[in-house]
Amino acid sequence: MGIDRRSFISFLAGGAVGTLVTPIPWKLTDDISIWTQNWSWIPKNPEGASEYVPTVSKLCPSGCPVRVRTVGGKPVGVRGNAEHPYSRGGVTPLAAAEAELLYSPARVRRPLRRTPDQAYVAISWDEALAILEEKLGAIKGYRGKLAMVSGDPDGTINEVFSAFLAKAGSADFYLMPGEAQVAAKAWNDVMGGQGAVGYDIGNSDMVLAVGADVLESWGQVVRNRKAFADKRPHGEKPKAKYVYAGPVQNNTAAGADAWVPINPGTEAAFLLGLTYQVLKEGFRVDAAPDFDEFKTFVMSNFAPQNVQRVTGVAATTLVAVAKDLLRASAPLIVTGSEFGQGGGGAAMVAGLALNLMLGGLNRKGGLQALPDMPQVVSGAKDAKGLRSADLVAYLADVDKGRTPLPEAMLFYEANAAYGLPEASKAAATLAKVPFKASFSVFFDETAAMSDLVLPVPLGMERWDDICTPYGSGEVNYQLARQVIEPVFEAVNAGDVFLALAAKLGMSLGYSSFRQVLEAKASAIGADLDALQEGKPFTAPAKVTQYALRMNPGVLAKAIKDADKGGDIALAPVFYLRTGTGSTAVPPFNLKTIRDTELLGKESFVQLNAATAGKLGLREGDRVSLSNEAGTCAARVHINEGVMTDAVAALLGFGHTAFDAYSQGKGDNVAKVMKTRFEPGTGIPVWAGAKVKIAKI
Amino acid sequence: MSGHYGQFDIRWGMVIDLDKCTGCGACMVACQAENNVAIQTDASNKRLVTNWMLVFELSNGKSFPDHEVAYLPRPCMHCGNPSCVAVCPATVTTKDEEGGIVSQIYPRCFGCRYCMASCPYHARYFNWYDPVWPEGMEKTLSPDVSVRPRGVVEKCHFCHHRWMQAKDKARVAGEDPKALPQEAYQTACTQACPNGAITFGDLNNPEHTVHELAHSEYAFRLLERLGTEPQVYYMSRREWVRRAGDNYLADEKTGSVKNEHHS
Amino acid sequence: MEEKNTMNPGVKSCTCGALVAPFVVGLIGALIVGWWLFPPLLYSKKLQPVRFSHVVHVEDGGMACSDCHFNREDGSFSGIPNTGKCAECHAEPMGEDPEELRFVEEYVATGKQVEWVRYQVQPDNVFFSHAAHSVEACGSCHPEFEENPRELCNKCHPDVGGSDSAPAAQVNRITGYTSMTMKMWQCERCHANENHFELTEEDEAKHIKPVTRANNGCQVCHK
Repeated sequence: MGIDRRSFISFLAGGAVGTLVTPIPWKLTDDISIWTQNWSWIPKNPEGASEYVPTVSKLCPSGCPVRVRTVGGKPVGVRGNAEHPYSRGGVTPLAAAEAELLYSPARVRRPLRRTPDQAYVAISWDEALAILEEKLGAIKGYRGKLAMVSGDPDGTINEVFSAFLAKAGSADFYLMPGEAQVAAKAWNDVMGGQGAVGYDIGNSDMVLAVGADVLESWGQVVRNRKAFADKRPHGEKPKAKYVYAGPVQNNTAAGADAWVPINPGTEAAFLLGLTYQVLKEGFRVDAAPDFDEFKTFVMSNFAPQNVQRVTGVAATTLVAVAKDLLRASAPLIVTGSEFGQGGGGAAMVAGLALNLMLGGLNRKGGLQALPDMPQVVSGAKDAKGLRSADLVAYLADVDKGRTPLPEAMLFYEANAAYGLPEASKAAATLAKVPFKASFSVFFDETAAMSDLVLPVPLGMERWDDICTPYGSGEVNYQLARQVIEPVFEAVNAGDVFLALAAKLGMSLGYSSFRQVLEAKASAIGADLDALQEGKPFTAPAKVTQYALRMNPGVLAKAIKDADKGGDIALAPVFYLRTGTGSTAVPPFNLKTIRDTELLGKESFVQLNAATAGKLGLREGDRVSLSNEAGTCAARVHINEGVMTDAVAALLGFGHTAFDAYSQGKGDNVAKVMKTRFEPGTGIPVWAGAKVKIAKI
Repeated sequence: MSGHYGQFDIRWGMVIDLDKCTGCGACMVACQAENNVAIQTDASNKRLVTNWMLVFELSNGKSFPDHEVAYLPRPCMHCGNPSCVAVCPATVTTKDEEGGIVSQIYPRCFGCRYCMASCPYHARYFNWYDPVWPEGMEKTLSPDVSVRPRGVVEKCHFCHHRWMQAKDKARVAGEDPKALPQEAYQTACTQACPNGAITFGDLNNPEHTVHELAHSEYAFRLLERLGTEPQVYYMSRREWVRRAGDNYLADEKTGSVKNEHHS
Repeated sequence: MEEKNTMNPGVKSCTCGALVAPFVVGLIGALIVGWWLFPPLLYSKKLQPVRFSHVVHVEDGGMACSDCHFNREDGSFSGIPNTGKCAECHAEPMGEDPEELRFVEEYVATGKQVEWVRYQVQPDNVFFSHAAHSVEACGSCHPEFEENPRELCNKCHPDVGGSDSAPAAQVNRITGYTSMTMKMWQCERCHANENHFELTEEDEAKHIKPVTRANNGCQVCHK
């Protein structure tokens, strides 16, 4: 018995033929093809019922109203809120990216303590609180030993912080620099105005934005843009005129009917040039006793040819803009800095004065004087006090030894080491502070130099609020609602401070931050249920003014402010799409950055061909921008939308912390934002800084 | 509405008002979040980056101070005569459904990229990399669109899933899924735009805003003389912007290349 | 076999005949392997993590199918209910069944979701609309579905509606799909059938309006 070769082959042949009529080859082929379509490393779609939770973005500085979409209770995206009167469904490119940032590699996942060898080790919240209790307990009651910086421009949480500091004996509570502080100093201090400055863009039929990037980053930007959209029916003549004056043809200029290029830092002269034209028509401000003095000052100094020399604006253009303002029924002048910080007081005063002259005060579509909201945490700095505290001035004083170096500094969502002007110098000053604690969502540059890093929940993970953000035309209040429990060990900083205060024996009167928010809503008379449904609370109240000053003496001094450090004026540009100092660039947003803005690890600055020609530069050349404050490296991109003798540079690059999406990409322009103190007003100004550009 | 791919009762289309767009990029971000478009650590090498929606910068070509800028958001044009459909060897991309949306079926695609070569609008993208999200971030993916692996071509689909959802919502409510009101189906970019620059709807339906806007004297389509008949229209009151929509010879009148559509 | 071993070089034709037998053996063997042994090997059996009785819920509890399996207001389908839905009744154990006790303790008390095994689940690239394939829609032409809706469900899903314990799912070891996961050709039986929704005059007289027209467009079923 045996199987010979032939019969074995026959057996195999039979098996082969048989196999062909079984499912084996066909099913396996099919299954393998299916297998190749479902690689295990390709993520699967989540499942569950969809819900849309209304809230406002605390990530985006504009406080964009949004709806967070959850599937099975987990956030999968952020959309606009179509039912919100401000945004009507629109959303900023930053707010739209919030869901993915929940799991950003840059997030601080648990409390961290820095060891003497500069490494970070994870600690528990109890240990973290114990360290804070020990450090702050030791300096409690001593003036000048503790300082704090908050990156939240308009939340009630600042009351908790400032009350905490006040109880600990410190008055050094500061906000990160923004437009609101400049406006407050101009309006409240220089002009003697009452209340906070607001702008009713929605009802204006002629918006002149001087510096202020109203369609990209300034104020409640989606609301501004909805107002802009309303006034431009498709294919028809616009129902409101928008004019943008600034050194760069930015996104506001792109949408505006006219772009008036002006030299960086010459906004005041431009506005006073317009004032000259308006004064010629006999307009005046009766509420200001020094008006005639002001008139004389303007009429003798701001004739069109003078203005042209300073600002670069042709006399005919100036007259045309003035005519537009005079022709409009509700003209509005919005003054600001192109990049939302560091603008001059003189320009702000000139802009406010022009609004007053055109009868814009508390008029529909005009300048608004808004009352501040009642405070709910006793001992907290009032809104006016918050706006007038100046971090840049404080750090300059510390640097010069005029103010003692604090022993401890606390940061809340404030990336001071990256975002302050003269960034390298500011970081060096902060480095000298012996103990620093950073409460932050992301591991930013400030966290990277802090002794203690404490995770803060992302906007959608916490209860928070927004009180009349700068730029809005009426008093309003919005609640940011917690959509999910924090995905990491983050705790609301409001709750941390309340607990810490209790430990240090200085009760702030609340046991949880939600109670503070509820008290706020009740103090302003807002309906908590409506707020939780994402509806804003608004109040029509305006502040009547009694004794305004035009203060030409201060203006005369301030107008002389100009940086003389270099040949080329720096014109920083701030896009929400590239994130803020505290968020860096969200991964999605990287794609919105052009390859003429960032290529590989190098960022670009933009010059027009005439400027580049003068400097002997060509497209793609590597250059350094430098002045006394520092140096910033970049490549050259020729853009005819930049004024001659100016260099446009995008904010948001050059991060050294955060994650692979932001780290090491380009250079930080803030390093060359040289600060000077404006004569007369004393306001630190870093718009219009001059730089030297050299090929490297 | 002519085309080799049949007559459709519904023709989803877009009209993008370039006088309203200020180039903020919200549409691009909203699109990525909505459609699970993969992120890339270095997004500056634009040949390797996937953008279903991309905002182009247009210049009038003049020197300072006469320079003007405009921004042009570019989704897939969903052409009436899509060149991509004709060249696809695998029936991955078709124009075979009511509504006229040019489809893209990822499991069928084997990555030959003929469609990319044929598309005059560069609206198609090849996945050079497997989509990788940092740990945990995959939990924030949208449930509506499958995640595409490396080696396939992808593109804008007018948020087709939102249409399917709108139809299902109508069915459950006992309404006619074929007669959706304009607001029932809107793309992510349309809703996100704070300037209202993008209008979306049925080009065939006089009750939808796009119907009227597409007939505006300021409306135009990109590269019209190719005869691709896009379902995406643009509009601008500025002549130089309208001229940027095609390759005009110096003596050609703006709009002279227009293929009169027959809707 | 005897003959095969006999050395007889003169009879060559015998060799051919002798080769048929092993061929047939191989053939039959392959058929047995291919049709009987291979399929069970390809699939693993997966049991539900919690024993669930439809009988108890439907017959004893008097619940309707749609109490748990329904179209949501937004048009999507609820599928298998989550723990929260079960907890609406089972916040506390309702009976003596130890399995129910375990379910309440392990899942309801902790809020944990049950990883129910699904017999019919499509990959991410498939979009299936339950709303479009509803009893109302299909029943408008196929009255049998209106009379017995489960018959419609069972076109794709296993008939578990009357079962006391859920059957094991057959999970393909290569693809991870279940044996019931429908293939595209199965969808195309209706979708590619141009006459599927062709309304007859009789239909029109009855004012039958199909909810939608059959469409075999790729993206109708793919996402």
